[in-house]
Amino acid sequence: MSAMDPTEVFRQEASELFEVLEGALLDLGQRPDDRELVDSAFRALHTIKGSGAMFGFDKVASFTHEFETAFDRVRKGEIKPTQELISVALAAKDYIRALIEDPQSTDDIIGEAILDDLKRFVSADQPVAAVAEIAEAPPLAPAGSKQAGWHLYLEFETHILRNGSNPLDLLEDLCKLGPCFVVPVTDGIPFLDEMEPEDCYLKWDVKLHAACDKDAIDDVFMFVQDEMKLTLQPLEHVEAPAPAPLFQLLDEELAPVVEMPAPVVEAAAAPVAEQPVAKAEPKSESKPEPKLEAKRDDRGIATVRVQAERLDELMDRVGELVIAQARLTQLAASGSDLSIKMIAEEIERLASSLRDTTMGARMVPIGSLFGRFRRLIHDLSRDLSKPVEFVTSGEDTELDKTMIECLADPLVHLIRNAIDHGIEDTATRAANGKTEQGRIELAAVHSGAQVLVTVKDNGGGLNTARIRAKAEEQGLIATGAVLTDHEVHQFLFHPGFSTAQTISALSGRGVGMDVVKRTIENMRGSIDLSTRPGQGTTVTLRLPLTLAIIEGLLIRVGEGRYIIPLSAVEECIELTAEDERSRGRNFLNVRGNLVPFLRLREIMTASGTPDRHQKTIIISTGETHVGLVADQIIGNHQTVIKSLSKLHSDVTTFSGATILGDGTAALILDVAQLVALAQSKVEKQHISEAA
Amino acid sequence: MNEGSVGERQADAMQVVMIGLGEEKFALDASLVREIIDPVPVTKVAGARAFVPSVINVRGNVIPLADLRIRFGMPQLDDSADTRIVVIELELDGEPVLVGVTADKVYEVTEISQTDVQQTPRVGMHWKPEFIRFIAKWREEFVIVPNMERILN
Repeated sequence: MSAMDPTEVFRQEASELFEVLEGALLDLGQRPDDRELVDSAFRALHTIKGSGAMFGFDKVASFTHEFETAFDRVRKGEIKPTQELISVALAAKDYIRALIEDPQSTDDIIGEAILDDLKRFVSADQPVAAVAEIAEAPPLAPAGSKQAGWHLYLEFETHILRNGSNPLDLLEDLCKLGPCFVVPVTDGIPFLDEMEPEDCYLKWDVKLHAACDKDAIDDVFMFVQDEMKLTLQPLEHVEAPAPAPLFQLLDEELAPVVEMPAPVVEAAAAPVAEQPVAKAEPKSESKPEPKLEAKRDDRGIATVRVQAERLDELMDRVGELVIAQARLTQLAASGSDLSIKMIAEEIERLASSLRDTTMGARMVPIGSLFGRFRRLIHDLSRDLSKPVEFVTSGEDTELDKTMIECLADPLVHLIRNAIDHGIEDTATRAANGKTEQGRIELAAVHSGAQVLVTVKDNGGGLNTARIRAKAEEQGLIATGAVLTDHEVHQFLFHPGFSTAQTISALSGRGVGMDVVKRTIENMRGSIDLSTRPGQGTTVTLRLPLTLAIIEGLLIRVGEGRYIIPLSAVEECIELTAEDERSRGRNFLNVRGNLVPFLRLREIMTASGTPDRHQKTIIISTGETHVGLVADQIIGNHQTVIKSLSKLHSDVTTFSGATILGDGTAALILDVAQLVALAQSKVEKQHISEAA
Repeated sequence: MNEGSVGERQADAMQVVMIGLGEEKFALDASLVREIIDPVPVTKVAGARAFVPSVINVRGNVIPLADLRIRFGMPQLDDSADTRIVVIELELDGEPVLVGVTADKVYEVTEISQTDVQQTPRVGMHWKPEFIRFIAKWREEFVIVPNMERILN
């Protein structure tokens, strides 16, 4: 842990920056006038460049530098970011990412092509970009003038010391470039009683007598560039008039003294590239602009980067603590010692709040995931030429981080489906009196102990007749069977089922929806489809808040005890003598509805005689209800989920195991599997009855 | 366990934990063994393969409990005062897996010399040869060194 690979740190940091960059670029497509977005894209680029160089990703640094340069005119507001430009910029971003993550797979040619594109777009409205650059060059340095060094004026933001940057170190670095004459400018120092001991009030005026090029100087200040004003002027043999009288005075007085020992090298040409126009001429009176200060002062919420494995470990420990606490509570309840009982209660309270805090630490806002899809939609809507508006809501909704990771693939499938199958092409939309631009909504919302994630499109809706025809063709249902629309739609989740007439690059292969369903169910979630012809489809994913601990219902079957996830439990009823008698049919009559039921004693091959009064727990997934018959319902149980080992991976009835208060292991029933089992039994019964 | 000590000795020596199953003696490679515990309540897993019929709780981990006797077609004895569970760690498909193994008796940790190793005879064995790594001699007795990866796969 302590010996963490620094390049790994960089990769992590970079991947976060890429998200910022991508988000900003995509937003820029929507709001080309938003300066904030351009700036945030630039900040991200800049940090990638800086850290890239620091960690030896030279290619990354140099490419990013080129990218930055080419994009600079956007920053200066000279050209508007067009959709084409954004697309190229995104490609450039992908290339940088590839350079960092898998340098072998990339080729310089790709990078050059991207840069060429970028330059072409950037200079499209003004064919000779070079002209602009020369025009921007400060008049002080006409090309070809003899230049012997630089005149620098450094002004740091007052809080620079708090960030750990030391201006003196930077000056020292600067001195390494060549002989320097450094004069501190002290006019910014306030009166003693107004002085903040941690602020930096000094400014510096530096004359660098070396013919190094501008990049070398920029490199020195690379990491503080955003927190300082750096003004550069080429220094000529013939002293140019200094910007402020103070300097001039100093120059005159000290000129003979500071005769440099090193021979002054004459540069052949002034290496003047573009010079940031925004950075104004040095001004002696430089009170920090209060507005800027307020903005930069982001000591809002302090965050600490923690390795994900550590959090997992912490969660494991807390899980064990909860188990130990349950045992203590049980022990205390069986004894009569009041003080032990009090301690047990106290520990129970502490353990449960510790559990909540730990789970909270693992919670990540789902927005980080949503951001990824904007790119997907941007690219898809371009490739399919279906203009799509993408709307997200509930980005703040928090989910366990492992769930977020597991959700990415299913959501990609759903969104692809929505664009490819859901949204009609422009002509069809126009014919149906819809707006030309389709709309996809991605939303997340808390609902009790669950999170609902919905993908909604305003396309044509599901073609129930076609799904039905396909299901009949594949022999999944008998021709003419009576099915509700909802039941018909379930065939979409059948492996290998696709109604798309042509296979596109995106979808139509019939893999996808079944994978989506399985992934969601593996997370103990459920998936639901609803559709309105001509108005669109909504896919709703119901997910538990966490994968680590669930509320469970503890039941007993024979000798064994089992856990049913409480989120799946609808109600508990007693198995009546009448239900008991209808042995062959295995249906319950629940307020007029026929509900199939399973005898857990049979599934668990329990020995001994069943209890006199059998209990039925009605569980549900989506709209299907199934009864589970058990011997006894013991009660609620905080269930810390432990996965079953590989040796039991062939057992599908159980989704995991937990440890009970007395230290024995109990198995957690896999609700989806049991429901499927009950349904297949019902179908068999139907078939045998029909025959 | 102490893997270093294996390397320090001569290459042909092997540290093993000697366990008894029914009438037979088996030698488990000591580097696999994590701990030896007293019998704990087991939880039956309905529908599991016969040689891993249940799970147990070992220090907060739910691990499968394997029964070698079923794999070797031996009669199952009831738990006695000598019954122990040997917890071993194996690589299955590249992942470390903890497995408990029921032993009717655990004798000792000892060393067997690979010079005593006998190739598994092709005939005269009533169990599958692929379950056996080799047969060694220990105190004038033949002991079986089982191939746990094969047995549990």
